[in-house]
Amino acid sequence: MTTKSLGGALALTLLASTAFATAASADTLSMWVRASGTNAATNLVNLWNASHPDKIELTTIPDNQMVTKLATGVQAKDVPDLVSFDLIYMPDFMKAGFLTDLTAELKANPNYASVAKAYQDIATYDGKIYGAGFTPDVSILVWNKDLFKKAGLDPEKGPTTLGEIHEDAKKIRALGADTYGFYFSGSCPGCNIFTGSPLMVAAGSKMLPANGKDDALTGDGVKAVLEAYKAMWDEGLVPKSAQADNGQDFVSLFKSGKIGIQGAGGFVIADFKKDVPTMNFGITFLPGVKEGQTSAFVGGDVVAVPVGSKHVDLAKAFINWELTDDAQIEGLAKNNILPSRPSLADNKYFKAEPKLVTTAKALGVGYVPWVFHFNDMVNSDSSPWINMLQRAVFDGDVDGAIKEAREKMKAIAAE
Amino acid sequence: MSVATIPAQDSAAVARPARRLSPTAYLVGAICVAVAALMAAPLALSLLASIKTTADASAVPPHYLPQALSAESYWKVVNFQAGLATYVGNSALVAGITIVACLLLAAPAGYGLARFAFRGKEIAFLLLLAPIMIPYQALLTPLYLDFAKLGLANSHFGLALVHTVLQLPFSIYLMRSAFEAVPREIEEAAAMDGCSSWQSLLRVFLPLAFPGLVTVGLFAFINSWNEFLGALIFMNHETDFTVPIMIVSVRTGNHGAVDWGALQASVVISILPCLAVYLLLQRYYISGLLAGAVK
Amino acid sequence: MGGVQARRRAQGWLYIAPALLFVVLVVVVPFGQLVALSLSNQSLLGGGHFVGFDNYVKIWNDSAFWRALGFTLKYTLWLTPILMGLGYALALLTVDNSPLKKATRTIAFLPVVIGLGSSSLLWIWLFDEQVGLLNKALVDLHVIDAPIVWFVTADLAFWAVSISVTWKVVGFGMVLFVAGIQSINPEILEAAVIDGAGYWSRVWRIVLPLTRRVVLLTTLISVIGSLLALDQFYIMTSGAPRGQTFTAVYWIYQNSFVAFKLGYGAALSVVLTAVIMALSALQIALSQRGKAE
Repeated sequence: MTTKSLGGALALTLLASTAFATAASADTLSMWVRASGTNAATNLVNLWNASHPDKIELTTIPDNQMVTKLATGVQAKDVPDLVSFDLIYMPDFMKAGFLTDLTAELKANPNYASVAKAYQDIATYDGKIYGAGFTPDVSILVWNKDLFKKAGLDPEKGPTTLGEIHEDAKKIRALGADTYGFYFSGSCPGCNIFTGSPLMVAAGSKMLPANGKDDALTGDGVKAVLEAYKAMWDEGLVPKSAQADNGQDFVSLFKSGKIGIQGAGGFVIADFKKDVPTMNFGITFLPGVKEGQTSAFVGGDVVAVPVGSKHVDLAKAFINWELTDDAQIEGLAKNNILPSRPSLADNKYFKAEPKLVTTAKALGVGYVPWVFHFNDMVNSDSSPWINMLQRAVFDGDVDGAIKEAREKMKAIAAE
Repeated sequence: MSVATIPAQDSAAVARPARRLSPTAYLVGAICVAVAALMAAPLALSLLASIKTTADASAVPPHYLPQALSAESYWKVVNFQAGLATYVGNSALVAGITIVACLLLAAPAGYGLARFAFRGKEIAFLLLLAPIMIPYQALLTPLYLDFAKLGLANSHFGLALVHTVLQLPFSIYLMRSAFEAVPREIEEAAAMDGCSSWQSLLRVFLPLAFPGLVTVGLFAFINSWNEFLGALIFMNHETDFTVPIMIVSVRTGNHGAVDWGALQASVVISILPCLAVYLLLQRYYISGLLAGAVK
Repeated sequence: MGGVQARRRAQGWLYIAPALLFVVLVVVVPFGQLVALSLSNQSLLGGGHFVGFDNYVKIWNDSAFWRALGFTLKYTLWLTPILMGLGYALALLTVDNSPLKKATRTIAFLPVVIGLGSSSLLWIWLFDEQVGLLNKALVDLHVIDAPIVWFVTADLAFWAVSISVTWKVVGFGMVLFVAGIQSINPEILEAAVIDGAGYWSRVWRIVLPLTRRVVLLTTLISVIGSLLALDQFYIMTSGAPRGQTFTAVYWIYQNSFVAFKLGYGAALSVVLTAVIMALSALQIALSQRGKAE
């Protein structure tokens, strides 16, 4: 028996059991999803609703308020049945006891074993499992094939080292006043941890400390990447507006055909197809300093069951269901979203779009940081991470920036 | 009867010395046009951008005019999640309750402050101003937990109470000023006719201060309509959400990317009701803001 | 006589009682809880215990907070005269009710009805060096040679935010002042005209003094609003560069909701409220002197 049919049988059994249990009347489950994950989540929820009597109602929470909403909801004992949120919050939520223990159900689900290791790790605390990957995204490098061609570069070959990024960017900048070689959102902490840190990790660095005794920003990778960014900035290969970009123009300039190379996420595949269908772009892994070094930031949303959920069994059933082949392929892959089970990357939808296959493979080489207070350390507007980036690249003090960031991160981790 | 409203033409004495159009008048007119153009420009550009395609709205370099007309941004906003009609309905409900609550509380309070002398009056007035002096973001969390215990969380009524308390200081100030503008003779005449203070309020003061009431309603509407954080914290279901929450969600992309077209469309959409209310009530509230500045 | 007065006094209290009770329940009680919270190290995610005045001691040493407060004060001192001055000028400009003036007034008031969040994003779009039309217009009009990146230095960012807030809020002052000016007894002004007083002389000697009260109260509201500024900076500058454009409330937000330090954030809120109340009391005391009543 193949995994697929076994999984299918399991799903059917679960479905049947829940159907028996709630045969009397259909329930409605509430689910919170963050704003930027709404489109992705809607695909899965619609698929579930089409084939199950119990319906799920989605509520969209603006990204920045998700933590506050969940925290106040738990305290007021008014939580949704399911919640999907940025996976970097898992450690904090698990530690705070906000989430229901799903260990028994997920360990018994054969599909869970094939979920990408990064997603399994981020959802595990003290040996117990509290969630599963839901709508994955992963960071990759994109390049503009038309600009490459114009600059005399091979449009089918993306850069494979940090040095190549720099060299290629120089050639593209030479094309004209309006064309830039490289881009990054200089005031967006999240964009840069997503696209910049994998360059550092690929070059051998470890990023964030898990506790007060752990090391932060180890290895030479951090310095190498910051120096490369600084060099590109100093040489004018990056538009001046990048410095003030909070993320609102994360991919806008690339979409206008003005940028040669930049880090981005798998989400661009669907996004570009919709908004700029004629753009020729390539996707590859984010590289390190030497050939063959690659990494990625494994991101996206996880799904969990908050403590206080009024439909715990149904919620668990949903999570088990979303890991099935059918849900992953028809719900996610069909809509250009990565399945959280890399083994399913080889599906009919992805075969039609090879960029998706590359992106799915990136899940395998990627990392995800398992730390508390990720928000404070990285995403916050006053975080050591963004201060380090800005001080190194725009102020020019690479060493000082790294040193300061290391100290502040360790201080936060020690809290 | 309408002592509280002074014919507008008389204030021409301030604006210009003579009736015929002097060069000064032309200059003043030109300045008006310039001011209006400057103030309207961002909104006009926003409107133009809202009818561009999504890609064009974030194009680099930007274009003043749309390359091609497209309703896709409006489509996105109108069809987002629960649908625009739901959000508008919720916002209207909350705003409506806020207006009523503001009037019910601010009118008597303004009356008491305007026409009665009692020790501690100014301190009471300061206390009534307190809500605007506290960073209300900090108050929202304890307030939400309190309301949850009282069963007021997740209710539009509860949210309206929060909006009311935020509007109350300004509303009371408006009503106080409006009532202070009523001449003593009229109040004394009513008293001599045997009216109690309550009857005076209902039969004499409220009608005379009607423009003030309208003004309170207008500002209560505008501020309740646009309030975001309280609405998000107090509501837990998409179908209960108000327009500001939808506006934030519809324009948010991955990693903070902003859908500029959706932003512009949502700005245009959210302005329209407030603009309509403002235009309808305009003739009332200008004379309503008789802030009693001059007596 | 005494009986009537006592009854009037009691009635006065009765009339303000509902509003007073409401404010006590919905504001004073939660504020009390906030004070209690400030004496703990509670986290947004729950948990924490009583720590007495530790948070307040930390605030004393929190240079980032004092820098944010200083920035907020600088912002308030800079913006208030602009808002009040421009608002009054616009009021004088549009005070008579001719169609052109009314239309101008309506258009100037229009930005007031938009939400501050949307307005901030609208301006960040306009100011953007790449997608923004403001830069393009400035270049097209030959005011500047090349697009400016507005949010890279604290000063430029400050200007940009000020421009956007002025656009949004100036109509509010204008409308209040127009009402104040329109309520001046026209006989006073006509008498001044007959006496030969020129326009500006009338404005300076009659209109301004007679609209004193509305100007002072509007200024108070504007000052308090500026001291509590958050949205415009949160959206437009994200505190950049290097946290130089954090306002006081922004810093509270960072501590409470980003770093999860709810207790510490509550203490910051209490301190900020105290500052605002002190400044408001000062303003009111100054305005009571020589009140035209």
